[in-house]
Amino acid sequence: MNGVIAFIPLLPLTAAVLIAFGNFSGWLTGVETERFSVKLTMSSIGLVCLLALATLLNALHNHSLDTPPVWHWLELPDFKISLQLFNSPLPSALTCLFALLLFIVMQFSINYMHREPGFHRFFAILNLFAAAMLLLVLSSNMVGTFIGWELAGLSSYLLIGYFQQRPMAVTNATRVFLTNRIGDAGFIFGLGLSYSWLGSLEWQILQENIGHLTSAQRNALAFSFTIAACAKSAQWPFTHWLARAMEGPTPSSSIFYGGIMVHAGVYLLWLLQPLFEQAPLMMLIIAAIGLITAVYSFLVGLTQTDIKSSLVYATSAQVGLMFLECGLGFWQLALWHLAAHAVVRSYLLLTAPSLMHKVHGSPIKPVSPKLAQLQWAYVASLQRGWLEALIDWAIIKPVRGLAHDLNNFDEHILDRLIGAPLPAIRRISSLAQFREQKLGARLDNDADEFAQGSGLAGKLTQWCATLFQWFEARFVLRNHRKSPITIGRQLGHTAHKFERLILRPRNLVLFVFILLLSSF
Amino acid sequence: MINAQFPLLSMMLWLPLLGAFIVGLSNNDRRARILAVIFAGLECLITLGIFIDFDGLQGAEFQFVERYAWIPGMHIEFLVGIDGISVLFLPMTALLTLLSIIASWNSIKTLPRLYFALLLALESATLGIFSALDMMLFFLFWELTLPPLFFLISLWGIGAQRRSAAMKYTLSMLAGGVPLLFAILILALKHGPVTGNDTAQTMLFDFPVLLNTELPAPWQPWVFGLLLLGFAIKAPIVPLHTWLPTVALEGPAQITALLTGLKLGLYGIIRFAVPFAPTAATQYLELLSILGAITLLYAALIALHQTNFRRLLAFASISHVGLVMMGLASGNLQGIQGALLQLFNFTCIASALMLISGFIQQRLGTTEAIHLGGLAKVMPRLTSVYFVLMLASIGMPGTSGFPAELLLILGTLFNNPALGIIALIGAILNAAYMLSFTRRAFLGPVVHAPVAKTQDLLPRELAVLALPTLLVIAVGLCPRLILDTTQHAAEAWLRHINPHTNAIKSSLGE
Repeated sequence: MNGVIAFIPLLPLTAAVLIAFGNFSGWLTGVETERFSVKLTMSSIGLVCLLALATLLNALHNHSLDTPPVWHWLELPDFKISLQLFNSPLPSALTCLFALLLFIVMQFSINYMHREPGFHRFFAILNLFAAAMLLLVLSSNMVGTFIGWELAGLSSYLLIGYFQQRPMAVTNATRVFLTNRIGDAGFIFGLGLSYSWLGSLEWQILQENIGHLTSAQRNALAFSFTIAACAKSAQWPFTHWLARAMEGPTPSSSIFYGGIMVHAGVYLLWLLQPLFEQAPLMMLIIAAIGLITAVYSFLVGLTQTDIKSSLVYATSAQVGLMFLECGLGFWQLALWHLAAHAVVRSYLLLTAPSLMHKVHGSPIKPVSPKLAQLQWAYVASLQRGWLEALIDWAIIKPVRGLAHDLNNFDEHILDRLIGAPLPAIRRISSLAQFREQKLGARLDNDADEFAQGSGLAGKLTQWCATLFQWFEARFVLRNHRKSPITIGRQLGHTAHKFERLILRPRNLVLFVFILLLSSF
Repeated sequence: MINAQFPLLSMMLWLPLLGAFIVGLSNNDRRARILAVIFAGLECLITLGIFIDFDGLQGAEFQFVERYAWIPGMHIEFLVGIDGISVLFLPMTALLTLLSIIASWNSIKTLPRLYFALLLALESATLGIFSALDMMLFFLFWELTLPPLFFLISLWGIGAQRRSAAMKYTLSMLAGGVPLLFAILILALKHGPVTGNDTAQTMLFDFPVLLNTELPAPWQPWVFGLLLLGFAIKAPIVPLHTWLPTVALEGPAQITALLTGLKLGLYGIIRFAVPFAPTAATQYLELLSILGAITLLYAALIALHQTNFRRLLAFASISHVGLVMMGLASGNLQGIQGALLQLFNFTCIASALMLISGFIQQRLGTTEAIHLGGLAKVMPRLTSVYFVLMLASIGMPGTSGFPAELLLILGTLFNNPALGIIALIGAILNAAYMLSFTRRAFLGPVVHAPVAKTQDLLPRELAVLALPTLLVIAVGLCPRLILDTTQHAAEAWLRHINPHTNAIKSSLGE
């Protein structure tokens, strides 16, 4: 049984790789080969459903929490990361639910995406997402969970940007990925803290050894994972990315932001339940975040004019309620809420395109008149609480400005200060150089010095060279208007005379005497 | 095991040089190309043979050692050998040269014979840097990389100011060579008396001997500082980095791929600067990690503002250098192993991305984002390969970028949580600049006519990119392929700089 669990994330991954490779190499393109992708996808996800069910039954019967590691991924002495999967009831149950939802949505997509140019790409990414989410839920190792977490974010990026030619879709995809990246940083930080304080990257060991930590450590650990959970589950202040994520095809929106991925944060909180229960401050904070998100999403959702956006805010409100439930300690309730909401929201988002057809004859109920009269609330709601503008102003603009300033500093100050040498001869001497000059090389220069340079080092060299050259030219070479050869000859004569003078015997004896006297 | 007496390393060092002469003297351009590929391929096989034959369990010891007298009066020897740290870079250097040669098959029109000859000569010198165990020999190889690079950049550069760029590069490197030489001389002179040899033997350049005798404490900061300065210019570390963006913009992309792929400066810091002066190094590790943090953030922020793909890649590579420095300076096994793995990544990811920029440049004559846009539609294959490599460069799981970044960030974090946060911010910024460039250049609608008419990757070019891409994925799925080779050498490295405290215990923060 243990080895079999590994196939749950592995099967969709294989399907994803096969379809992606087939599409890349060119034999899996066009409408004719759609059947192959579909068959591969459906058989793999069908098998996964059966396997998940079997695993659940197995987990309910024997409560062995650990399965042997599937893959020793990275090993250093005392630092081993291996892919290890849970065999406990709740992850297995969630796997079951998610696999089933994935199956339904994939079945739905076959007709929905038919004849789309990126049909195969869509299925490859959807399979990748399935593998990522199943790994996220099943992994009993933090790094495994993080791999699933990150790959889910990647597939979300790829599907939001599915319509590559639309500038809006691509911009939104980038924005969403970067917002999620902040959460990923929080996850890695929590993972690192957990290892340095508890010496382990297993969820179970973390759950069991919370007591060894001081309360500050517990809060820090819980805080960093809370950032990750909030970013992934679109909680305040990250709520805005969810609305941007609706650019992708409808089935992917349904499964990512209605059914599965948006609940990953709640699952992460559940994994850390013992930690949060001993960190009351963080419980309060997640309850507050959940409450703020729920109220915020409700208010913003009131003024949304398209169906997908209003569903998005309903989703984040519900997930906010789950956070609130977790914060208040109703963990069981939060999980039931998760399961129910996943099913309902997937259904609602799948049927969103046929909304007009359904609500025909039964108009949407207007908001209560009391609320409708608050004009400022209307503006605030329409502007989505200025949340995104606030984040732009507080984070993105300063970072961009800093980048701009640093770039200027680098180009105009640092680069010039360090300096660059310039070619010694800059006259146009050939046709090639003339062409280069036309291309923009600065070859023309009136100052035709021997050495040239820019920047600190360059200028220093240049000045020294000029100085020495001047010295050489004025004093050494042109001394009293005599050529160096004459000077050399004169010097030679003088030296010769001096030597002859010294080498006379009486002078030599005199020298010896002087030396002897001075030494005594 | 190949016969231990067989001079495999010498053969590896001389073969490309021989190839350079033969290629340079051949009378036909086409034959020269084929000969260059054959020699580079043979070299690849030899280095691969060395890599396979290398005994990873004895990774801390120098293997394949060859020792010949060279200048006996000054005790300079021709001494070569490799250990677990350097063995990795031999096949990667050979592979990268081979890929560069194949990538420049058609793009080099003028003097191709000289070009390929210089490339092979450069390969020889680079391999020499990785295998030299005599400090003078090392320094010789270090300086010998300059002449080929000077001509390669100045003659075949793609920018208008390539001459100036080549000059800038060469002068920067020469400036870095001076402190290196001084440090080597200090080491040679100060070790003679300590080893207790007779007075004649005052100069000593033997790397293993130098390593195992402790340098007098007052000299350690000097040696460390000088070596660090010399290698920091090559690495490059902010504020000594200005040559790299210039060269990336002006030089030929295939050569820039070699420059960004083979991080000789970082290798020098790992191999020489820290182990030679362990006391000083441990004292100044904080300084090293702060330098790394500044480099990481500074280059990442500037990269955010770049519009040219090649300049962006140059700054991305500088930013990654900063992260490696932080990992190194963390002084734990995760940090050093992550650093070595990231050095491997440079050879696969950074250089392959640079080659991609070369392919784009060759087709469209530009790598400015404003002249691109919508490449995904017209060049689906190039975009797919680019995507995998781009994701690897931002550390996506499934690629080799992930284990390296994870190890580096965790190593930094175990050492100092505040620096860990900086490393994480760096990771976010990494994703920001790579993805926003991807958005501008590869996604969105096609707006320029030349882009719409351009051609996707040719089979030859695809083959060039396929190998690093597959390596990236394979190592991402099984990082032990690399880490097991470097494991023992990395542990020995840690024991050397930190003999009293158990290195592994300190990594746990106990």
